[in-house]
Amino acid sequence: MIKHSFLTLLFFSSFIMSDSLYNFENAVDEKRFYSLIKEIRCPKCTSGSLASSNAPVSQDIKNKIIELIKEGKSDKEIKEYIASRFGSSVLYNPGFNKDTYILWFAPFLILLIALSIYLFRRKA
Amino acid sequence: MITLLRFLIFVIPISLISFLYFFINDNDYYPGADFKVSDMPLFELNSLYEKSIVTNYDLEGSYLVNVWASWCITCRIEHGFLVTLNSENVPIIGLNYKDDRNDAIEWLDKYKDPYRLIIHDYSGSLALDMGVTGAPETFLVKNGKIIAHFSGEINKRVWSDVFAPVIKKEKVVWNDQT
Repeated sequence: MIKHSFLTLLFFSSFIMSDSLYNFENAVDEKRFYSLIKEIRCPKCTSGSLASSNAPVSQDIKNKIIELIKEGKSDKEIKEYIASRFGSSVLYNPGFNKDTYILWFAPFLILLIALSIYLFRRKA
Repeated sequence: MITLLRFLIFVIPISLISFLYFFINDNDYYPGADFKVSDMPLFELNSLYEKSIVTNYDLEGSYLVNVWASWCITCRIEHGFLVTLNSENVPIIGLNYKDDRNDAIEWLDKYKDPYRLIIHDYSGSLALDMGVTGAPETFLVKNGKIIAHFSGEINKRVWSDVFAPVIKKEKVVWNDQT
């Protein structure tokens, strides 16, 4: 009997001490946090998101994101906060601005050039 | 038609390459250096030795902020250069990053203290606000604005490549007392 209750206790002991790593006020915030840390690169890693990284700076940024979420900042504001400090390269989804327009338009431009060459050749 | 195509075969790659070269090439690029101007973040932290409160108001004029820690091996390597800078009257503010106070003090006792003032940032909150990814990192601040940021060890070469041009361009004058 004692043996059984001991084993039962042992079995549940890990659940007693378990808790989520980060605490959120509501499920929406939690969802936002987990999607944000997938979209932001760890500045110390070659290529890995904050979600994949345990580097001290990543942990600091994650805690900061939680703090900013609790302050009621929007996803855009949080991304701006981090990008302004660690450079726009920390954002996995490059925004559309003067530094990135070539990146966004280049495929269409190349397609257009290829198409015009193709049409030229057909005519000839 | 064929001549046009022959012509295009040369012109398109050349124009593409020159386009990329002139519009995407970043002439200021230097590995680890960043010349984006930003405000020195507001902070309120303890000093390393006296445990007295240090804020932005304690920092005036132009100075360097050097992020270091006793656990950081590269900081030991750049330390000699910082001592030289200090002897040339360059004010260096130490930002002790995620370090044990006693370890840090012991480390400075052993290797000489080149800092005018040391901020003890145990949680890394100011460092995070400044965009520090690790130690060592060095910032050049002029009147509350960060005008240069270098991640990694600073030495004679980095000083003349990264900091000296900015100091000349921005007419940085070191103040005697900070």
